[in-house]
Amino acid sequence: MAHVAYTADNLDIRYAHLALAKSKNPEIHKFAKTMIRDHEAVNEQALALLEKLGVQAQDNFLSQKLNQDGDAIIERFSTLSGAEFDRAYAENELAYHKAVNALVGDVFIPNIENAEVKALFEEGLKIFKAHEAHAEMMVEALN
Amino acid sequence: MASKVIRRDLLVGAAACAGALATSVNNGLAKTPRTHDIRIKSFEFEPQTITVKVGDTIRWTNEDLAPHTATAVAADWDTGEIVKDDARSIKVTEGMETNYFCAFHPHMKGTIELI
Repeated sequence: MAHVAYTADNLDIRYAHLALAKSKNPEIHKFAKTMIRDHEAVNEQALALLEKLGVQAQDNFLSQKLNQDGDAIIERFSTLSGAEFDRAYAENELAYHKAVNALVGDVFIPNIENAEVKALFEEGLKIFKAHEAHAEMMVEALN
Repeated sequence: MASKVIRRDLLVGAAACAGALATSVNNGLAKTPRTHDIRIKSFEFEPQTITVKVGDTIRWTNEDLAPHTATAVAADWDTGEIVKDDARSIKVTEGMETNYFCAFHPHMKGTIELI
């Protein structure tokens, strides 16, 4: 579970770096920078907590699937440019945050026993829900 | 003789002190600037609206994991990035922009009422 969350965070950071490199839209840049800033903050806390608890996040089929899907998305993004890229990035951010939020909220959180881990996931979910709302505004603005 | 002089000086000094104290208390009631605290929690400014006077200080403390800012809509003032458990302050000035938001999460909005 921790590895899936960590992978999802890192994937979004990779999308954001691509957006910074490819997009010329200042709103996309602002959003991408927020994604990097926030997801790095979550990852930092997650790693600190794992270390405190003395456990290691294990690679698993779900995080591998996420990475495979992510690679395909990044490959598709790299063929796009201009407004076409901006729309694809914004739409992917909205869909991605929706999917990850549903997974974290409906599947992960109800199954976490450790109170500290649960609190971190809940805190993370708040952040990702804010991102989802932000992505929604961005998609509307671009269409 | 000497002791009388000292006593008189002391009395004068004490009276002066009391006068100064009274003046500073009176002024203090009317003018002492206040610090207004705003918590940033769960992607909201709490309280969302505050009432302040020119010369007061507004202090934002971030209780979220995500970094935030308090940034004037007209961009005339900005706290800069406030990381988790950190605080940043700005001083209230005449004619300052009273609507602000988080530059990183633009749906977070706050209002300052100047009286």
